[in-house]
Amino acid sequence: MAYGVKLHVWGDRACFTRPEMKVERVSYDVMTPSAARGILEAIHWKPAIRWAIDAIEVLKPIRFQSIRRNEVGSRVPTAAVRKAMKAGAVEDLRMVAEENRQQRAATLLVDVAYVIHAHFELTERAGPGDSEAKHLSMFNRRAASGQCFQQPCLGVREFPANFALLEDGAAPVSELPLDQRDRDLGWMLLDIDHANDMTSLFFRAALRDGVMAVPPLNSVEVRS
Amino acid sequence: MTVLAALNGYYDRLADRGEVPPFGYSTERIAHIIVLSPEGETVEILPWQSLSGKKAEPRPTAVPQSFKRPGTTPRSFFLWDNGKFVLGLGVDKVTRQRVAHPANHAAFQELHRRLLAGTEDAGLAALLRFLDGWSADRFDACGFTDAMLDQNFMFMLDGDRNDRGEPRFLHDRPAARRIWERAVAEGAGGEGICLVTGTRQPIARLHPAIKGVMDAQSSGASIVSFNNDAFTSYGKEQGLNAPVSEAAAFGYGAALNALLARGSGNRLVIGDATTVFWADASGGEESAQRAEVLFHDLLSPPPAEDADEAQAIRNALLPVSQGRPVREIAPELDERTRFYVLGLSPNIARLSVRFWLEDSFAAIAERVGRHWEDLRIDPAPWRTAPAVWMLLRETAPLGKTENIAPQLAGEVMRAILTGGRYPRSLLAAVITRMRAGDPVNGVKAAICRACLNRDSRLGTKKTEEIPVSLNRDEANPAYRLGRLFAVLEGAQRAALGDVNASIRDRYFGAASATPASVFPMLLRNSNHHLAVLRKGDKPRLGGWFEGEIGQILGGLDSGFPRSLRIEDQGRFAIGYYHQRYSGKAAASTDRPGATEQTVSED
Repeated sequence: MAYGVKLHVWGDRACFTRPEMKVERVSYDVMTPSAARGILEAIHWKPAIRWAIDAIEVLKPIRFQSIRRNEVGSRVPTAAVRKAMKAGAVEDLRMVAEENRQQRAATLLVDVAYVIHAHFELTERAGPGDSEAKHLSMFNRRAASGQCFQQPCLGVREFPANFALLEDGAAPVSELPLDQRDRDLGWMLLDIDHANDMTSLFFRAALRDGVMAVPPLNSVEVRS
Repeated sequence: MTVLAALNGYYDRLADRGEVPPFGYSTERIAHIIVLSPEGETVEILPWQSLSGKKAEPRPTAVPQSFKRPGTTPRSFFLWDNGKFVLGLGVDKVTRQRVAHPANHAAFQELHRRLLAGTEDAGLAALLRFLDGWSADRFDACGFTDAMLDQNFMFMLDGDRNDRGEPRFLHDRPAARRIWERAVAEGAGGEGICLVTGTRQPIARLHPAIKGVMDAQSSGASIVSFNNDAFTSYGKEQGLNAPVSEAAAFGYGAALNALLARGSGNRLVIGDATTVFWADASGGEESAQRAEVLFHDLLSPPPAEDADEAQAIRNALLPVSQGRPVREIAPELDERTRFYVLGLSPNIARLSVRFWLEDSFAAIAERVGRHWEDLRIDPAPWRTAPAVWMLLRETAPLGKTENIAPQLAGEVMRAILTGGRYPRSLLAAVITRMRAGDPVNGVKAAICRACLNRDSRLGTKKTEEIPVSLNRDEANPAYRLGRLFAVLEGAQRAALGDVNASIRDRYFGAASATPASVFPMLLRNSNHHLAVLRKGDKPRLGGWFEGEIGQILGGLDSGFPRSLRIEDQGRFAIGYYHQRYSGKAAASTDRPGATEQTVSED
């Protein structure tokens, strides 16, 4: 992985919602690869590159807490968006949260920290001006100075992620207790295959000495 | 392992014991058997009741699976249902009159005519003839009564017995089983990866209803459900948002329903969280069951009828509280047995997972022991170890379980089982109760001690451990003020006897929160109480109080603090409890600490 990057992310709370319990949300034990990709893309992304997560290292004890939050029960339908685009008027595109409010429980993670190991590949949309070295240095420069397109988050927008680029050799100390370093995490969402009817891709996740290895999207370990 | 995967594994264990219905079947409460002749005539209506309880009740029986029936178009179950469907008759709730339900009966007829078309099985053919010949005016002639109508019926061919000589119902006939298997397979949605098993299988669109969670809808609630469009993603519908195979969905539902069933020893209701727990069978079925019984006793020690029994229970659980390994309590138990604990709370038609824990049984027992150790206080307010619901009741206004703050039960359970900090709201709630005038009893003081101890052990700021019993040398001002308050109250009681509002009734809240505003006045008043004692017939007691006040004030270096933080209010309560109920004072008449063990938890 010549173009590998390591990013240290941390925050007070995180919720990487499990698909089967996403209404009364329950978080996965560990950050999902798609959430990690979202963080990297918030810092630097262009159509010319595609991020791939290699591994996620867990640095803090896995601790849960349950809270109640106000969420909404409906969303603006796609058809309404289309209509507004056609008419060029957005008056009807609104949702009043107060009229739509629901109180829902969430079991989420508290005090998390991870190291995301990732690399990127150039896509077919890369032009002659796109080189791997260029995007790597763009990412490194932006991450080192704390720049991002939008605030990266830990699973949901309410829980912002702090981040710091890890230069070569630098590694934060893991506080993950011994009895949590190896565990089976079950089938975890790897990513959504948007090109293929938005199929969900799953992989068998496990922590080995505090590190969750992530298979590449096209590997045999990935099921859809 | 994930919740659903672990439950699905438990289903296999139950299936080995023959305690859960096979895939496609569910256990329902059936009240009556309609016995049919081969010609479709009703021979008789037999009651089908379980006699285990106090009164005869409809008997749980494995029948073709039920499903939720939302909406207005009636859908019928296969080979069983209630009177509205089977007979087309129901009883109006208000007028108690018999009412016809032609649409429901039509649905029942339609389903069975469609599925049973062309059958050669004598029993199923008899059912078809019964449906052809049925009309509401035959109701009384066939031996039906109005009282039966709300209950479920199933069918049986006259004289049909299985090889064990027990009655064989229509749905148990091999022909019926084959038809049902085909119908279940046809009803399944598209194939996909199942996120429980990881294999490609038909995906369940709707997940089974889970019954038995306290305060949830009695018809059942779901863990996995997507009933609003805000819950769905990427244009996926219903169960496709969380692909779980039909078989796995059935398995986890059946296992969870078995755990939650009435009389299951694997269920505890604590506050608003219904907790189920189970062990895996890696150490053998016997070891697993032993672990489950022990866990139940740990979190909810059985109420003791008399002193001997209390002693026996205490002896059995004592090693746990002393942090000794599990093999001393239950030598036959495999310590590596994996143990699962799941806490569920309802949110209307859905269940939310409050906590989920998977660990070795030895580790869990050790953490429960540490929880008891943190709670230890002298004089002990309980005869056996305290049940969790008993602790939570102390946080609720009027001591009512329904007044326990939502979420609190789940968070406390999580703290006990993971060994983490108790939720801050627990300490705050107990202190609020004391300030509102609830008695400062041993349970509340023990909760304060447990919260503070755990915070100091796990927190960054290491402080001294709170003493178990009265420590006259403890320098903490809040603790000393608590003791002082108890002494002043004692002096008042000794001097004036019972008064309408003692200084505790009036000033406990203010004294524990803002000592500087109350204590000078209390000390002034106590001079009067001490004078009464000295001049009366108890001069020595007066002297003792005076000495005690001097000892306490002597250890307070910097006067009365203006205010105490919530942690210090906890220390105040502990100091008060220690001083009030230790030693000599403990011999006094009222010991509110000895808590009633009479209320059962579910």
